[in-house]
Amino acid sequence: MLHFLRRRLLASLLTLFGITTITFALARVVPSDPAVVYIGPLARPAEIARVTKELGLDRPLYEQYVSYLGNLFQGDWGTSLATKQPVLGGIAARLPATLELILLAMTLAVAVGIPLGVFAAYRKGHLPDAGARVGSVVGISMPVFWLGLLLQVLFAEWLQLLPAIGRLSLETEVLDPITKITGFYLIDSLVTGDWAGFRDAASHLVLPTITLAAYPAALITRMTRAAMLDVLGQDYVRTARTFGLSERLVLWRLALRNAMPTTLTVSGLSLAYLVTGSFFVEIVFNWPGIGQYSTSALLNLDYPAIMGITLLGATVFLVINLAVDLLQAKLDPRVRLQ
Amino acid sequence: MSTLLEIDDLRVDFSRDGRVTSRALRGISLAVEAGEAVGVVGETGCGKTLTGLSVLRMLPDNASVSGRICFEGQDLLELSARELRTIRGRRISMVFQSPGTSFNPVFTVGYQIGLVAERHLGVGRKEGQRLVAETLHAVGLPNPESVMRFYPHELSGGMLQRAMIAMAIICRPSLLIADEPTTALDVTIAQQILRLLRRLQREQGFGVFFISHDLDLVSDFCDRIAVLYAGRVVELGATAELLRRPRHPYTRALLEALPGRAQPGAPLPTVPGTVPSDLDEAPGCSFAPRCPLVVERCLQERPVLAEIGSGHAAACHRWDAL
Amino acid sequence: MSVSLDSPEQLPEAYRSTGMRSRALRTLRRDPGALLGASVITFLVVIALAAPIVAPYPAQGRGEADVPARDLAPSWEHLFGTDHLGRDVLSRVIFGGRPALGVAFAVVILAVLIGVPLGMVAGYRGGWLDEALMRFTDLFLAFPPLLLAMVISATLGASLFHAGLALAISWWPWYARLARTVTQSLKHEPFIDAARVFGVREPVILARHVLRNATTPILVQATIDAGTVILAVGALAFLGLAAQPPTADWGLMVAEGRTTVVTEWWISTFPGLAIFAAVLGFNLLGDALRDVLDPKTGTR
Repeated sequence: MLHFLRRRLLASLLTLFGITTITFALARVVPSDPAVVYIGPLARPAEIARVTKELGLDRPLYEQYVSYLGNLFQGDWGTSLATKQPVLGGIAARLPATLELILLAMTLAVAVGIPLGVFAAYRKGHLPDAGARVGSVVGISMPVFWLGLLLQVLFAEWLQLLPAIGRLSLETEVLDPITKITGFYLIDSLVTGDWAGFRDAASHLVLPTITLAAYPAALITRMTRAAMLDVLGQDYVRTARTFGLSERLVLWRLALRNAMPTTLTVSGLSLAYLVTGSFFVEIVFNWPGIGQYSTSALLNLDYPAIMGITLLGATVFLVINLAVDLLQAKLDPRVRLQ
Repeated sequence: MSTLLEIDDLRVDFSRDGRVTSRALRGISLAVEAGEAVGVVGETGCGKTLTGLSVLRMLPDNASVSGRICFEGQDLLELSARELRTIRGRRISMVFQSPGTSFNPVFTVGYQIGLVAERHLGVGRKEGQRLVAETLHAVGLPNPESVMRFYPHELSGGMLQRAMIAMAIICRPSLLIADEPTTALDVTIAQQILRLLRRLQREQGFGVFFISHDLDLVSDFCDRIAVLYAGRVVELGATAELLRRPRHPYTRALLEALPGRAQPGAPLPTVPGTVPSDLDEAPGCSFAPRCPLVVERCLQERPVLAEIGSGHAAACHRWDAL
Repeated sequence: MSVSLDSPEQLPEAYRSTGMRSRALRTLRRDPGALLGASVITFLVVIALAAPIVAPYPAQGRGEADVPARDLAPSWEHLFGTDHLGRDVLSRVIFGGRPALGVAFAVVILAVLIGVPLGMVAGYRGGWLDEALMRFTDLFLAFPPLLLAMVISATLGASLFHAGLALAISWWPWYARLARTVTQSLKHEPFIDAARVFGVREPVILARHVLRNATTPILVQATIDAGTVILAVGALAFLGLAAQPPTADWGLMVAEGRTTVVTEWWISTFPGLAIFAAVLGFNLLGDALRDVLDPKTGTR
């Protein structure tokens, strides 16, 4: 197992290296001049020349790349051309907001998707199955940004039930802000006993979380249902029933375990989807997370920021895949780690 | 001796979209006494496995059942789902043909057997595992404690079948339904398993409903034999008597077709023709088209299973011609 | 007993053709989802192709503004209302089908054309070629979905063409992997060995024998992917990384109406609905195809 981890780590590092190279190449093949982005649209030639030298943009490309890599290892992810702030710091500051959203959405997706999928497979051909199938195909067909807008209009505007934007209401932000410990407002407010803050943060989380969770929940439902249908047709399920074990035991413990590999894989993919999906939800709901940072970086061609985001995204993706593979091996004794 | 299991005129139909697609069992009647081993033989499709499954009411939703299946005095066909679950695995157990696919691949063997014990006997985890080890030992598995921790794919066919038997007897059932338990095994392993079953039967005293297509096998193991053809019992009797003097042409044909009885140099005898379809509604005997002793009456009037000697019954108009 | 052969329906059940195509058509006729999906797609394609004729205000569909008529709620003159520049939303939604469907088909076809041959060759030959392909595709597949396309489109300069290119570049590795897996599983089939023994050359083996058997999963995947690409292009456009104004593009239109969605809800809602309908159609069709073509999960 250690051997497997060593090899995977090495492969991952190589992949990350490859990704960094590709992104760097892309970012520097840019039609726009980073110096101009840095200064702003009213740049004058003299300023451009000065900034170009200052930022080291006049050095050969490969030299820039090598020094970039070197800096990476020391924890310096460069400086954003737009905000003039360190990229790493900029990402770190906004990360908790995005993470809180992603983790909640993932939890919701799994909590809804797995039981629904199991139930649909069990009651195949009946109403729960039809409902789950319709619901899930609708869920994977909806553009996430559109869903977010719809929910905003419906719940925030017409029904006036939930807030439309932001992590906290203006009042709370200004008058009684939540003490920042982890950056996760739900945790921070609970830990400090700030019930008002907790309620405020929670109500702001509802719509974005549902929006973000819709696609993964639908996907997980579909995959779990398919896997369970396969499992329920197997001999060992019939055997378990022949030995008088209850339907609940047979379905939720004995059968589901066999469907888990599929469910796990799909959940891992969903989590990866959430990383980029959150961009859109953050835009629609004015969520102060990485999404907004990334989108403006992309539109402004702020290449240090773009590299930072890509590096982060790819790393997260690699970690998720590794975790999924490890869990697969644990779940199914027939799988051998390669 | 009280009758452990009495099947009376069991009929099973399958239907789809409201229409009957198959009349699989057409009035099966047979009995198993306590501690007795009854063999149920016939070719593929005659309904022997289905009869076994019917006893446990393990039939698909589109099956309709009629008749009576009396187990220890209770009609199993009248029981609710919950009541049936207390019988399955506890008072009536089943051993399947392919142990490899009958065990759940993601749980250890010990866990699965232990689960049955825990649920039916109401014991805790530790006590359950102790029982499992004990039972695995009783079925002849060496090192029960370590075998328990194995996953099904890590055990050989023979060992798995022993484990399956362990799971079947851990709650000390009164009836064991064995559906071709040795068909998927090597000949030598098969013999071992049969010896094991016989020993366990003597020690624990359970009745056995032994399903097989192999008459040789069944004649070794069983006290009585029921021969099935096209969803009906055509002959029923004590093993020795049945083998010595079969009273149904089909039974006789089966006996003659056994490889052990073949004459060197002569072609192996077979039964010409094929089994009728399971929707066939011909008025006479279902074996008539293939029977060497057929007469006019056979085609018009269906013979009923009738006693012709002590404990020996046959469904044939010409039974005394054999 | 004579059998009338005037039409296939008159044949007794046992004699009905069980070929793939007839099974496919029979399923499509019976399965409501398949029917719905096929209808929706056909409808959208026809409308997109006939946009200049079907749209009530074709000039506005192309981008011509009519500012005095801006922000009008849906009415008989403008069934879907007008947007911030007074353009008829219905016409723009109709015209929006062109970039959406066009890019979807283009990206999928391109990804298949690049990925499948590469995957087949790698899967068949094995060895270092296979390893090289695996490492190469690994690199692409290590990017979180859409991120690579976003970066490519942004750096090349946001436009529909670059977005499509970016997506094709992101997508081909999936088809390479798929083709590779299928080829590997077919490699050892007896009929491939037989072809080799008969001296059939490798390219022909791949093209004729392997490809024919690989068509099924690839076709199913491609159908569903067409929908996914529409979602992706819509997402890129929403961010401003694809089609630029004044092009009528569904994702772009949703973005244009985003800030005023509570007061002028129609500007974002209808284009989004169009995306949803198109993707739904492809998903339903893809599901139906999978049911028909996969013998394991097939019904009837």
